[in-house]
Amino acid sequence: MTSLRTETKPPTFSAASPLKIALVEDKRDVRESWAKLINSFSDFTCMCKCASAEDALRMIPPLQPDVILMDIFLPRMSGIECTARLKNEMPRTPIVMLTASDDDELVFVALQAGADGYLLKRTKPADLRSALLDVLTGGAPMSSEIARRVVESFRQKPRERDDSISLTAREEETLLLLSKGYSNKEIADRLGLSIETVRSHLKHIYEKMHVRSRAGAVARYISGKPIENG
Amino acid sequence: MRLPARQQFLAAEQNPRAGIPKKHLLLFVLTAACIAGLFFCENVSAQPYPLTKPQKVTPQAEKVIAQLGLGSWIWTTNFEDKQTCRFWKTFSIPENDHVRQALLRITADNSYHLYLDGREIGEGSNWKSLTEYDLTFLLTPGNHVMAIEAFNDGREAGVLMGMKVTFASGDQTEVLSDDSWRIVPNNSHRWLHQTRPDPNWPAATIVGVVGQSPWWLTPVNIMTPPTLQPSLMHFWQTTWFLSSVLTVCVVALGLSLWLAAKLALRTRAQQLLDLERARIARDIHDDLGAALTQLVLQSEVAQTEYPESSPIRAQFGQFCGSARAASHALDEVVWAVNSKRDTLRDFSSYLCKYAQTFLSNTTIRCRLDIQPDMPASVFDLSVRRGLLLAVKEALNNAAKHSEANEILLRINKEGNHVIVVVEDQGKGFDPELLTGERNGLQNMMQRLQDLGGTCQIASAAGAGCRVEFRMPLAHPAARAGFSWRRIFGAQNGETVAAEWQNLKGS
Repeated sequence: MTSLRTETKPPTFSAASPLKIALVEDKRDVRESWAKLINSFSDFTCMCKCASAEDALRMIPPLQPDVILMDIFLPRMSGIECTARLKNEMPRTPIVMLTASDDDELVFVALQAGADGYLLKRTKPADLRSALLDVLTGGAPMSSEIARRVVESFRQKPRERDDSISLTAREEETLLLLSKGYSNKEIADRLGLSIETVRSHLKHIYEKMHVRSRAGAVARYISGKPIENG
Repeated sequence: MRLPARQQFLAAEQNPRAGIPKKHLLLFVLTAACIAGLFFCENVSAQPYPLTKPQKVTPQAEKVIAQLGLGSWIWTTNFEDKQTCRFWKTFSIPENDHVRQALLRITADNSYHLYLDGREIGEGSNWKSLTEYDLTFLLTPGNHVMAIEAFNDGREAGVLMGMKVTFASGDQTEVLSDDSWRIVPNNSHRWLHQTRPDPNWPAATIVGVVGQSPWWLTPVNIMTPPTLQPSLMHFWQTTWFLSSVLTVCVVALGLSLWLAAKLALRTRAQQLLDLERARIARDIHDDLGAALTQLVLQSEVAQTEYPESSPIRAQFGQFCGSARAASHALDEVVWAVNSKRDTLRDFSSYLCKYAQTFLSNTTIRCRLDIQPDMPASVFDLSVRRGLLLAVKEALNNAAKHSEANEILLRINKEGNHVIVVVEDQGKGFDPELLTGERNGLQNMMQRLQDLGGTCQIASAAGAGCRVEFRMPLAHPAARAGFSWRRIFGAQNGETVAAEWQNLKGS
């Protein structure tokens, strides 16, 4: 919580030092397509392609990528469990979930396990690029439904000792506006903030959610029941 | 008379006081006497004893009779050991008078059960004492049946009783043990309730008077049990009522078991259907959905391999768009089919997403007001799908006609109802001036009515429009009547078929 990566990372990117992306996806064709798509952006490079969560846990930590793209459904160990484990080893590296369908339940669980955002697999390449940049420079966009669930989860009593983690008034306000369907821009206008500030609020919200659920999360997702599809 | 008394008597008789040489001789004699006595009794028990004749009442006895109000010792025409004798008598209490006190004193050699109008009043087995029953509250005006079942252990036997009834008017009447009692044969079953004697019931025989040996002149004591209270025979205590209740219970039990079995089968069918729907949803999602996603990705990649100006790139762009649209449509099908989505929470989140996506293509902002912590109540497919279509219609109308720059979607749960409101601050319309082209509203209302819900539209020219949908969570047709029909009517297979028809129909 104390050190935010955005503060140390220069906000400009160039082809000379492209952003390093690690990809975890079990279907070969999809994996290759994603890799090609990422490589087609001049400022991104796909440095690591993993076919399973086990591969990801072995290969990704030494490479220290800038962002990890993770499929939710992986054979054997799920993407959510993999996220929880990776987040344990490299807490500062953002992880973005890839989902085929817009399943809030699953996305919310993934966010609790440590994901910093999520993308639909059919996302347009331009949106993909901006989402990756969002994750690096601030919080990834959050849908109204997820915002509602985040508010609800923070209002519930924490199961573990991390009761010190709570939202600031501004953060809660941001979440409430999000849940009412306001866009980041509208929130910024309404609260008299810059869009960057709103995004930084979002980033803190994501981080607080991770910290809040981390103690229980890893254990829960590792020993817990398998994630069901659909 | 009691057997032990007899034995003692015999033992004393055969045990002369003079000359008892040894203790064991005494014991021997006693034992022999007992055996002899027993043997004697055993031998003669089959033999009837001659009846005792009533003697003249002595002056002392007359006093006792007057004081206690007793009749004579009565019995049937013979004495036998181990003999049961039943006595029966009716008497009536006048309608126009009120019983102030009714005391009944009774004893029997050897024991008795006393009944009044079929109800057991008491019993006794000590012929030396008298029992006094207070029947004041039992003697209602009208006819009564008094019955005594007496039992004799051996030798002489008799029943002695007397009842004195004092009326409010000062009149008195007595019911005494005398030859007006009838002897009821032991094979009669309904005798306690019989109000008329059978012609073959003989009269009782007087076998002795008070003070006549072997009975007492004065009783050893008089026992007085508590005053008897009328036992109101409530209708639910009657035999026919109890038996019909029992029958109803048995029938109800059988019926509920049968229904439970039916319900279990139906629930099982519903579970199978849900599982099947979840499986279909998963299959569509995993196979078709993944293939479509792959198609989108591949055409995106192919697009990048052509220069910006290439017409092929534009074509791939269109291709991507179509594949994306197909993927989106597929999601909607999966959502509808998937039984895991049959909850209110899921419905609300889906509706929000739909509204946001739908309005993102317009200049209208979408505002949401969703009840926090929406419960995951069951929300049946037919209902949620119908409501979704209706809300879509409302959103569409608002987007097309309202010219508002903001549309509010509100979802609440109120009691057992879901309330969805679509509201805009646009130009509104006068509901009175609805023309044919606005028939979408009629459709919307009809759709909601078919599903057991309501739809209210409030609008006025220049004052925006508010459409409120109210839908019961437990769809009445599906949950009550319809399911009863299914429980009673359809077989298991038909139930599933009916369910499918229902799904398809919606």
